[in-house]
Amino acid sequence: MVKITYSENRLVVQGQLLISELENLEKILKFIDKTVMSSLEINLAAVNRIDSAGVAFLDEILERGKAKGLSVQMVHAGPHIAATIAAFSSRNLPEADSTAPPSIFENIGGWLVEVGRNTKQLLYLISDSAWFAVTGLFHKKGVRKGEFIRQSIIIGMNSFPIVALISFLVGLILALQSAAQLRIFGAGIYVADLVAISMTREMGPLMTAIVFAGRSGSAIASEIATMVVTEETDALKSMALNPVRYVLVPKIYAITLTMPLLTVLSIILGILGALVIGMAYLDIGPLPFYNEVLTVLILKDLLTGLIKSVIFAWIIVLVGAYYGFRVRGGAQGVGSATTASVVASIFLVILADSLLGLLFYFGGGADM
Amino acid sequence: MSTESLTNIIQVEDLTTGYNGRTVLQNVSMVARAHEITVILGASGCGKTTLLKNMIRLYQPWSGSIRLFGKEITDMDEPEFNHLLQNIGVLFQNGALLNSIPVSENISIPLLQHTKLPRVLIQRLVRIKLHLVGLENAGHLLPSELSGGMRKRAALARAIAMDPPLLFGDEPSAGLDPVTSAALDDLLLKLRNDLGMTILLVSHEVPSILRIADSIIFLESGRVLFCGPLKQALTAGIEEVDDFFSKGSEGRRAG
Ligand SMILES: Nc1ncnc2c1ncn2[C@@H]1O[C@H](COP(=O)(O)OP(=O)(O)O)[C@@H](O)[C@H]1O
Ligand SMILES: [Mg+2]
Repeated sequence: MVKITYSENRLVVQGQLLISELENLEKILKFIDKTVMSSLEINLAAVNRIDSAGVAFLDEILERGKAKGLSVQMVHAGPHIAATIAAFSSRNLPEADSTAPPSIFENIGGWLVEVGRNTKQLLYLISDSAWFAVTGLFHKKGVRKGEFIRQSIIIGMNSFPIVALISFLVGLILALQSAAQLRIFGAGIYVADLVAISMTREMGPLMTAIVFAGRSGSAIASEIATMVVTEETDALKSMALNPVRYVLVPKIYAITLTMPLLTVLSIILGILGALVIGMAYLDIGPLPFYNEVLTVLILKDLLTGLIKSVIFAWIIVLVGAYYGFRVRGGAQGVGSATTASVVASIFLVILADSLLGLLFYFGGGADM
Repeated sequence: MSTESLTNIIQVEDLTTGYNGRTVLQNVSMVARAHEITVILGASGCGKTTLLKNMIRLYQPWSGSIRLFGKEITDMDEPEFNHLLQNIGVLFQNGALLNSIPVSENISIPLLQHTKLPRVLIQRLVRIKLHLVGLENAGHLLPSELSGGMRKRAALARAIAMDPPLLFGDEPSAGLDPVTSAALDDLLLKLRNDLGMTILLVSHEVPSILRIADSIIFLESGRVLFCGPLKQALTAGIEEVDDFFSKGSEGRRAG
């Protein structure tokens, strides 16, 4: 037990000043703050045990007394108690990180600086990637043999089943939505036109990119982030290998190849989805449907879709790599980098899609 | 917790355990006496960490008895054991700091969990512990921003946050530079002398063992070769023990 009494500038502490005994001390600290005294003497003669929490408690009283301008003294501590106090005293220690929370202006300023710095880093990454991607076509040194093929297979295979399934369903839904209306006018066959054009120009590239961002973009971000956290990228640099070139460039090649292929797959499956509706609901045979698709689709539509898909691919791989390379803070950082990369790349893909839509529309004439 | 009347704070009898059916410790019996520093020695992979983890019930032994503060823990119920853990500090081999929060908050976790101390005192205690391990300026950093040796010291600060009567340390000085390692030995001696802590360590550093150990437990391939005072160990004439100390003093490491 610990017992603390006060009378006339004198605080008498008795018993065991141990962490398990120190409760409700707030009261005593407040008492010291409030009570008027001319000086303070802490009598420790009857303290028979003390630990570092007890020492911290005495220090707190001492410093509060001093803050009030009192002369404070500890007296009559037994030799063992005095030694423990000396060993664990927290007086004269630097104030612990008492960093005040930043003000709102500092916050905004810090945020702007951060945005500036991030943009700069992203631009560096883009220029590095572009440089190494182009020069890498001619200099094969410093890249693992077969890495391009391996990456293409991994990245493509990752996304293949889910892209296929989602595209099929999207085509099906698009057809179903329009079939009812078109049938009223006896124009059921135009379901083929509608789905073919929207899958080719819009939904195919977009759906593929979104699935890709979630499946392969996140994998790229977490792979690179893990390499940074485990100092693998430092090890590469120490062996004179540029991590962008060694890790990222093969992925860029691979994704530039696989993304358009997946997009074509997506378009085909979307149209197949529409065909199912056409056959089941509108009594259109496969051959008339196929002919209708061929007459309505022109090469320009397909090119529009493929250009979009390549641009989306670059956005996804660069955003993933960007978040991967700037990861901070252990295994936990890997998780947040991955999540952030997916959110950012989906947003940027949709933003780019809108911008490209405008560009193709105004740049290519009203028929686009 | 009253430890005065007890001589053996830790008492393990006939402990047998392992992983996935493979025996790692076989009929291990040992004691750690109150207010002493006891060091477990043995080649890496011989089961030292396993022994420690069984003592804090991270694993259940296959058979045998483990008594801490005189109480059998192998069949103790959960609330009682959690209460007992207040009296135990553990330094894990890899530090095991929580990576998402700063060092100072790591150290305050046991204080917040087990005590009702006012915040100011908790902050002050955290500062004391940071100072004791020589990290007074690192409290605001995340564990991932520390070097390996600093991380270990921060983990020690967390282990002693509550001034536990019993401290387990799995290779606290491995990977530290000689100066920091000597300072760590001083700190352990201080904890034993001033606070009367009972300390059970795993260590390979012969000079440090000679300096701080009161007793040693020598493990080999999951069996106890020797358990008793250091002085006896040095004169007992056990070949493996003599080997360890002579090779260790030449500067080679066992683990
Ligand atoms: N979680 C685990 N699962 C399976 N085997 C383990 C596990 N932890 C340790 N071991 C094995 O148990 C043996 C003893 O390990 P450990 O107690 O860590 O040794 P030490 O700490 O003495 O170096 C080793 O052979 C190790 O491979
Ligand atoms: Mg170990």
